[in-house]
Amino acid sequence: MENIFLVSLFIDSFPKLLSRLHITLYIVVVALLFGMLLGTYIAVVRLYKVPILSSLATAYVSFIRGIPILVLLYIVYIGLPLVVGFLGVNINRWDTMIFVMIAYVVNTSAFLSEIIRSAVAGVDLGQTEAAYSVGMTRWQAFRRIVAPQALQIGIPALGNTIVSLLKDTSLAYTLGVIDIIGVIKAITGNTYRSLEAYAAAAVIFFILSFMLEQVFKLIERKVGVKSAISNQG
Amino acid sequence: MGFQFDLSFFAYEISIAIQYIPVVLLLSILPLIVGLVFGTGIAIVRIFKVRILAQVFAVIVVFLRGVPLLLQLTILYLTVMLSFDSFAQALHLNMTSKDISYTLIAVIGLSINATVYLSEVVRTALQSVNSGQYEAAYSVGMTSCQMLRRIVIPQALPVTIPLIGSNFIGLIKGSAIASLISVVEIINATLFEANGNYKFLEAYLAAAIIYWALCIMVERIVAFLESRVGVYGKGGIV
Repeated sequence: MENIFLVSLFIDSFPKLLSRLHITLYIVVVALLFGMLLGTYIAVVRLYKVPILSSLATAYVSFIRGIPILVLLYIVYIGLPLVVGFLGVNINRWDTMIFVMIAYVVNTSAFLSEIIRSAVAGVDLGQTEAAYSVGMTRWQAFRRIVAPQALQIGIPALGNTIVSLLKDTSLAYTLGVIDIIGVIKAITGNTYRSLEAYAAAAVIFFILSFMLEQVFKLIERKVGVKSAISNQG
Repeated sequence: MGFQFDLSFFAYEISIAIQYIPVVLLLSILPLIVGLVFGTGIAIVRIFKVRILAQVFAVIVVFLRGVPLLLQLTILYLTVMLSFDSFAQALHLNMTSKDISYTLIAVIGLSINATVYLSEVVRTALQSVNSGQYEAAYSVGMTSCQMLRRIVIPQALPVTIPLIGSNFIGLIKGSAIASLISVVEIINATLFEANGNYKFLEAYLAAAIIYWALCIMVERIVAFLESRVGVYGKGGIV
């Protein structure tokens, strides 16, 4: 058993891995913030059926949601410099981290826009009509009546998406980012002795995901969510 | 320097990618079926609160749901590679660790992942059926098996279909991760062709198009199934 799993190495891996935790969290937070912004914009475009933008947005969301994150990472990493280079800007010197961020923001925005869209569309139209009938403006109706109800519908899916995002960041190492997984590759360099480190990484990710799930269960109770269906995003 | 995109090479890459669609389907349909079978078993054990098994399964499910697929596959791969030689010697098999098919390891790893997620899907679906239905079935004397088969499952199906569909799409995209443990599938195949001329963007875009097409087809199938199964869904007239 000893040449398969060394418990001492397993425990020793934790400090090394946790030293790169901030990179992983950095990616999650940035992707979430900008993904939310971009996703809201896309959702609004599709909800109001803006003439050309709406079809573009639909195609964008369908494409991004339909491809593996691994493929998207490389398409952004290789494709963005080429496309922007055509316009005369040289971004080959950019830090890899920026490309990683862009890829995760793009991915998150597509999933979040779907969640926002279906959450807002899930609120009964009668609610909006009733709000107009008592004299509320469009914005008032949205802010006071539709948004809180949409929040109730969307929070479980949002929580699932954030946990999935956390797990998806595990693929950032393929572009050379030294995050939790990247540091394992950097230290062990693809030798067979990395099993203990990967097991430690698995435990770290589990603890992070578990904590996030509990936080969201708390939020769901506070917001008053009726039911929650788990989903693999 | 202009933006060069080799359309003819791109078309060639798409033809290469199409040839590997069977591999992607193998890496997603097989785990889906295995996942449904074992996932339903786990879900039923947890719903009926079988003494020790329910808690054991609960811990396993909660743990594995929090671990990224990449880590699951990598750990499985390394464990098999490290332990296979001594295992084979003990059983006097004439194989070494070099003879193991990476694809088999990937299928097993994806199946375990699928089982965990699908057990949650099935559990949610079974719980979404009004508990009054369970009680009513018992009250007319049905066994658990009859109840599940005749009353609960037909009502749980409309809830399950979209969830299984999105899980299937997740499996198709998850099969891409198998490329990181040396399985020869779409990404590796298209990349291999581009190794000579460095046209990697065409390679990745071709792979992306094929994945996109597969996911769109699955979405259409799910929409079709939803319309068919919805006949007996909630709100229908009995």
